[in-house]
Amino acid sequence: MTTTQLPHSIRSGKPSTAERNAVKRASLRVIIIVLLLIYAVVSVFPFFIMLGGALKTNQQVLTNPFPFSSPPTIQTLIDTFEALNVPLLLFNSAVIAVGSCLVILIVFPLAGYAFALLQFPLKRTLFAILVGALFVPGVTVLLPLVILDQELGLNGTPLAVIFPVACGAGPIAIVLMRSYYASVPYEVHEAAVLDGCSEIGIFWRVYFPLSRAALVTITILNFVAAWNEYVLPTLTNDDPTKFPLPVGLQSLLSSNVVQWNQVMAAALIIVIPITVLFIGLQRFFINGLQGSVKG
Amino acid sequence: MFAPYRRWAAPRHLRRGQWVGLLFVAPAVILFAVFGVYVVVYGFLLSFARWNGFSPDWTWVGVENYIALLGGNPAVSPKVAQATVNTLVGMLVLPIVVLVLGLALALLVNSVRRLRGLIRTVYFIPFVTTGIAVYYAWRFMYQPDGAVNAVLRALGLHSLAPVDGFLGNTTTALAAVIAVQVWSNVPIAMLLFLTGLQTIPDGVIEAARVDGASTVRTIWTIIVPLLNPVTALVVVIMLREALQNYQLYLLMTNGGPVNASNTLGLQSYSFAFGSITDLGFSSALGWLLAAVAIILAIVNLRVLRSRQ
Repeated sequence: MTTTQLPHSIRSGKPSTAERNAVKRASLRVIIIVLLLIYAVVSVFPFFIMLGGALKTNQQVLTNPFPFSSPPTIQTLIDTFEALNVPLLLFNSAVIAVGSCLVILIVFPLAGYAFALLQFPLKRTLFAILVGALFVPGVTVLLPLVILDQELGLNGTPLAVIFPVACGAGPIAIVLMRSYYASVPYEVHEAAVLDGCSEIGIFWRVYFPLSRAALVTITILNFVAAWNEYVLPTLTNDDPTKFPLPVGLQSLLSSNVVQWNQVMAAALIIVIPITVLFIGLQRFFINGLQGSVKG
Repeated sequence: MFAPYRRWAAPRHLRRGQWVGLLFVAPAVILFAVFGVYVVVYGFLLSFARWNGFSPDWTWVGVENYIALLGGNPAVSPKVAQATVNTLVGMLVLPIVVLVLGLALALLVNSVRRLRGLIRTVYFIPFVTTGIAVYYAWRFMYQPDGAVNAVLRALGLHSLAPVDGFLGNTTTALAAVIAVQVWSNVPIAMLLFLTGLQTIPDGVIEAARVDGASTVRTIWTIIVPLLNPVTALVVVIMLREALQNYQLYLLMTNGGPVNASNTLGLQSYSFAFGSITDLGFSSALGWLLAAVAIILAIVNLRVLRSRQ
């Protein structure tokens, strides 16, 4: 109640309709905020659990599941770094994630641009095939992929994961880039053509920089998918020095007694980089995702 | 001045460089030819054969794998039947719960002005971070003495806290995994609904309010119908998620205990990489899944088009 006027109820002794509405609106406001806060807690609770678990000894983590309820220790983080060779795992994960992002950013914006603005033979057929692949479940092609990686001699290298992951990101990336480039006013293209710019020049100097939001969106979506990829690196690689983080984390669970505090510390190490990346780029990311739905 | 831009036809002068377009799509086509088309053809052929992965030759069996999976082989069909039921439960529960929660949260977020950006970011984190680390955090929370049971006991709901943990018994395992799937997919539904809400002109809602419609009525008779295209999109994404995400089940329960949380995707994975392998079964089951996914996509597109 922010009104500075004398309340009607004091003057007449009865609450007015306007006042009752104001009370109703204020209490509705409180309910909305409480509900929003509850879901905010639900959203981040597992991350508190990771952080809380990573700051506990194994004894504390077994007897008290709630985060931040024991005096914090950094011994668990130290132990986890020793048990897992974290820098190497981080490096291997980064190679896979950055590598697949590079392939995606080179290959699919070009294709999206062609599907949006150029005319060429078999255009509709190629588009249907590339995007239709979205509906082939990953598990359906998993076994042939592993066999193919083996035949191409890629097993044991990051490429065995990078190419399939990039290919899997293709349908969504092409649709996103195509709808983004189609939403750019066509006069932009006209003007560039009149200026004598070649098609590749128009793409590289005008459209590619314009599509920053869409590029960020596909980068984040794919970076996270590649960073979290567990199955393909497990199946194409048996050299522990080439493992990415998710596969390395698995070794913590193979012992008889699971050290949950160390598992949570490792989970935290996996989650922090992608959370930082998302929060840093989230303005572009959310705009890019929303733009693709509107377009 | 300029001809109106149409989706597929570029203006005439562009046709000068027909081959430029092909050059632009060439890298994508090559990547797909190797890592897409090749594996699809290979997998499709394998679904008509038996192979243990080691012997040099495949044994062609025609449609026998498909018949075995659909009930013809008592050694595998009960497992597949159980996995089918579990998958169907997911395909029913996930879209409905995600729709309701996503829409409710979008309406709530849309009704506040301050901190909207911050709330949206916080809500979106589960979707962005979803993967092995988050799954293990949930596994830890679902332990017999984990946080979920501790919260339930603190609330006095002792009977709801399973002694062997949510993932450790056959009655709660499937629900517990689906709950994680809901948690990680609500954000994308919320974001899509928020986008949809922003395209509804303020005048429409204002007019309803002037006419004396209550908030609930405004939402139900005006906002929800206007959001139909978004709803359809969310349903497609969630059906695909329920049908295809086997990694979640693999990492949370590996289908257990005793197949209670086994799904078709995970079963296909187990036929290929589990303890008893039959690669032909794996491929055939994968293609049955693909067939369902494609049929669902076509039906959904038809529904979308007929509404427009």
